[in-house]
Amino acid sequence: MKYIPKSILAILFCTVIFSSCAEKQDFDQLDNLDIIPTAEASILYVETPEYIINQLNGVNFYSQIFNFDAFSEEFVADNVLDGFITYEVENTTSKPLDITFEFLDEAGNVLDSENFMVNAAPTAILTREIAYGPAGRSLDIIRNTSAIRVSATNLGDNTSVSSLPNPVIFLRSSAKFRIRLK
Amino acid sequence: MIRKLLSLIILFVGYISCYAQNKEVLYDFQEIPQAIMVNPGMNTIYNWYAGIPFISGIYAQGATSGLTVNDIFAADGLDINQKIRDRALNSLSERDEVNGIFQVDILNGGFRSQKNPANFFSFGMYVEGYALNYWPKDLAILAYEGNADRLGQRFDLNDLNTSGQFINVLHFGINRQIKNNLTLGARIKLYSGIIDIKSTNNSGYFETTLGQNNLLRNTLVSDMKLRTSGLDALIDANDNDSSVASLFTKRGLFGGDPGLGFDLGVTYNINDQTVITGSLLDIGLLYHSSDVTNYTLKGSASVEGVEVILPDALNDPNADFWEDLVDEIEELVPFEENSNNYVSFRPIKFYSSIRYNFGKQGTPIAADCECDNNAESGDRSLYYLNSVGGQLYAISRPRGPQFALTAFYQRRFAKVLALKATYTVDKFTASNVGLGMSLQAGPVNFYIMGDNLFSYGNVADSNYASFQLGLNIISWERN
Repeated sequence: MKYIPKSILAILFCTVIFSSCAEKQDFDQLDNLDIIPTAEASILYVETPEYIINQLNGVNFYSQIFNFDAFSEEFVADNVLDGFITYEVENTTSKPLDITFEFLDEAGNVLDSENFMVNAAPTAILTREIAYGPAGRSLDIIRNTSAIRVSATNLGDNTSVSSLPNPVIFLRSSAKFRIRLK
Repeated sequence: MIRKLLSLIILFVGYISCYAQNKEVLYDFQEIPQAIMVNPGMNTIYNWYAGIPFISGIYAQGATSGLTVNDIFAADGLDINQKIRDRALNSLSERDEVNGIFQVDILNGGFRSQKNPANFFSFGMYVEGYALNYWPKDLAILAYEGNADRLGQRFDLNDLNTSGQFINVLHFGINRQIKNNLTLGARIKLYSGIIDIKSTNNSGYFETTLGQNNLLRNTLVSDMKLRTSGLDALIDANDNDSSVASLFTKRGLFGGDPGLGFDLGVTYNINDQTVITGSLLDIGLLYHSSDVTNYTLKGSASVEGVEVILPDALNDPNADFWEDLVDEIEELVPFEENSNNYVSFRPIKFYSSIRYNFGKQGTPIAADCECDNNAESGDRSLYYLNSVGGQLYAISRPRGPQFALTAFYQRRFAKVLALKATYTVDKFTASNVGLGMSLQAGPVNFYIMGDNLFSYGNVADSNYASFQLGLNIISWERN
């Protein structure tokens, strides 16, 4: 080492330190980055005991509009790609029922509806999955939904009582949608 | 450009930097005055030194564990989404991190006491900035994949662990040779916090399970907080086109958050050739009391959508179940803002080393002068051409201390040139070879050092890189 002039050694050293390089990086790949989570949550749950159905006059025993702004929130409406809404109807009452879910826009116009004819108990739980997006119904339904109307019609009588314990009609629903974050 | 920058931030959110800050090449490199900053008890071999303002010490470092820039951005023709899925989402853990830090000496100087040459005083001012982010594993999965088809999987909110700080430090230290074989040093630091961002010690989870009534139940249990100081002023200055530099100057010169810290150091000569050293740095804290804005999300709630249970629901025909649900959630898990002052602790750093000197030559290397490396001096390292040894480094981190082990070899070429080579193993890399050089041309001292040199072939693929350089004027003459 002593035969190497110190100045050359110092220059060599600096050359090593400063001689770093980097392979070409393509940051434009970020343009192709997709961040698309699939979010899943319940939407609406309605529970009606049989004695309520019997107490109410008329066959159309229940109809109510629920404000529901989750879908029309700007972020969701702008970025939703596709998804499913799952319905589940369970009837342990003695009455056959006609149940309708309707999606309404802000003006109250019906955007979409789903009808369920349910037999009197004992009957199987009715489950239905509706697709929205390119492979299903229009996403505009989801984007513009501001309220949900649930209507139930009693196709039986107002006196019978189910032999099952605590007879109830259950309406359950959930949504599973892909939302583009990037 | 801004969009890309934003995308980068989104991509690496939580994964943007930590705080290894191991200066293993500089440590105990006695020919370089700035080495006293990592051990105030180092043997000092000069009469006085003056760093050239702003260029006496420039240090930058970046480190990532588990992932490199090249892993994601290499122009390899692979789909970036697949690369992120394979190399980040499915590979990184919540203990992986990326880190970056910079430090610039504004002023740095030191002088030996005329009354008592055993005392050496150092002083100066530097700015330092760092950002730390552990990979927020569960939150990243939630963001990229969502909660669908993950029944019972808890997304841990503790995975969000991030902090960043920009401070100005005014320091004054004393270094005293107590005995021939013992030197002690201490330094007081006055911090002035410019910007502080911190979200650590979060807890809670988000979980989706089968519902009790409805099909699904979403549960959020949260105790999260984000503390900021100086951030609002920075955003305002940026939005209003006012000078960010003047804001930094004002807050950096004790118009920001005050803080106090200490460094301690020791050097002990076991015998003529064997030396052990140790130091504790940044034992201190900052009190954030200016321009503080904190955000909290605390509470718990379980939701199964809008629930209508007759006959109770018939009581109020005008009830807005959706709004009631939203209000209930906001009440159970309120997102709140406050301006409560808070304290942040500096990350304490620990260094220790053992050094064996050999290859003795007749005169001390440091100078033709009679520095304190005379026959009566404690550390006569500079009589020796070679030193070899090992160093241990540790730093306190939010997820536990981090360690680094270094082996080094140092070679001196008369009084002109000194080189130091290091090999370091830490959580970032097991092949970190560093080099440092101190070049003395008359009174002018130039030093430069770099880390992880084997990665220099492709820095983008490196898990760790740092460099440091500086320029000083040194007087070796003894009073």
